[in-house]
Amino acid sequence: MGDNILSLFQLCDSSFPTGAFSHSYGLESYIQEDRVHDQASFLQWLDVYLNEQLIYSDGLASRLVYEALEENNLQKVWKLDCMLTVQNLPRETREGTQRIGERMLKLVESLYDVPVFLEYRERINKKLSFGHPAIVFTMIGHHLGVTKSTTTLYYLYSTISTLVQNAVRAIPLGQTAGQKTIQQFQVPLAKATEKIQSLDEDDFGIVSPGLELSQMKHERVNIRIFMS
Amino acid sequence: MEDWTGILRLDTEVRSGKTVARNVYFQGAYKVMRPIYHDESGQVCYYILNPGGGYLDGDSYKMQITLDKQAQLTLTTQSATKIYKTPHTLAYQETVMDLKEGSYLEYIPDPIIGYRDARYKQKTNIHMEKGAALFYSDIITPGWSPSGERFSYNTLQLINEIYMDNELAVYDHVKLNPATKNMDGLGQMEGFSHLGSLIVIGEKTDSNLIDKVYQAIHKDSTEFKIGLSELPIPGFTLRVLANSTQTIEKIVADCQRIINEEWLNKTPSFLRKY
Repeated sequence: MGDNILSLFQLCDSSFPTGAFSHSYGLESYIQEDRVHDQASFLQWLDVYLNEQLIYSDGLASRLVYEALEENNLQKVWKLDCMLTVQNLPRETREGTQRIGERMLKLVESLYDVPVFLEYRERINKKLSFGHPAIVFTMIGHHLGVTKSTTTLYYLYSTISTLVQNAVRAIPLGQTAGQKTIQQFQVPLAKATEKIQSLDEDDFGIVSPGLELSQMKHERVNIRIFMS
Repeated sequence: MEDWTGILRLDTEVRSGKTVARNVYFQGAYKVMRPIYHDESGQVCYYILNPGGGYLDGDSYKMQITLDKQAQLTLTTQSATKIYKTPHTLAYQETVMDLKEGSYLEYIPDPIIGYRDARYKQKTNIHMEKGAALFYSDIITPGWSPSGERFSYNTLQLINEIYMDNELAVYDHVKLNPATKNMDGLGQMEGFSHLGSLIVIGEKTDSNLIDKVYQAIHKDSTEFKIGLSELPIPGFTLRVLANSTQTIEKIVADCQRIINEEWLNKTPSFLRKY
């Protein structure tokens, strides 16, 4: 198990080149409006992003994909790939996430020889599927025999730590403030993972109006350092 | 669920250039008024009524609407959908709409008002064939509360699923839950009380149209905030945060005017209700 955990760590590393560092998921709109300007206001944003958006989309999907893989129900996995994409109404975050998913898939394909990746790749090439990082990540976690909730936790961690790195550059925050944020987020991440286990499938895709609006607004931002 | 509080079924088709009802059926606390033709285009307009005056504990409503090839229908309500206290079972509405090739549906209901301790869930499934077009709007507002509280309802939940040729193309899930959330907080309603949503789908959508809509409705204002984005299929979605129904209705009307001019080559009529 120890070796496998390290294998999953590799995907959590912010140097794992998926392109996630060029996306702010609406954070940049808040920074430009000066509503996020320091560590405290960033923590507030991060908390809402995790608990009001991420758990209902990527988080819940990760759990459901893992369960579907255990039942060898690939149809369900492809359905979740579609739902994850079409529930993402802001175009930049939808297309950005899709690109990250594709790049992540390409990378793990060269690292692991797992048949399901090949199938996912073929479906994407034929435009039957979109590609999503939460699905690729969960496939790896499942393949490595890492438990369901640990896989979800690590996925959330990798997303949050990349966002913190982005905030450090964009707000900007000091490196120490960034690390403090990641440390302070350990409990919220564990709680979010726990909550995901108890969510109902009907909770899928709930969005918080302000967050979504800021992601849509980003498309009309002229000067930007992030693609979403 | 067999015991619906209200059932409405409306099937429309085109007969000699005019959209007419092939079948109208309603039962219980749903009713439609006589069809109205606002102009010479043949597009028909139906007003839905809720004679009961509001949704109460455990009420459930079912609506089924179909548009045959080339049919053009405007569907609206006569007044707001009021959701009252639901101590035991939430109020529920289920809508299924079928749009055949070349048809056009405008669904512009009055706002949903959530009063104290109201819990409401609405599920809308729209099935479109390629070449069909849709203009869908909804507005969620808090009801007046004697204590002056801004959000006294418990939960208002709206789920929209839109299928294009049987493939899920849009999944829109809004769940406002003031009972457990701080609505004024960052990322939530951010100081606003009303949320408006618009989904427009049609093959003629391109980035020029979306820019035109944005230019028409965008304003640096403290009265409202908008977000506008292109869908994965030709179309766009709009969210509006505001503090009054009128503000959102005006933005929706501006969008409707542009879509009507661009797609139908006409100007929409004002939906007189009072």
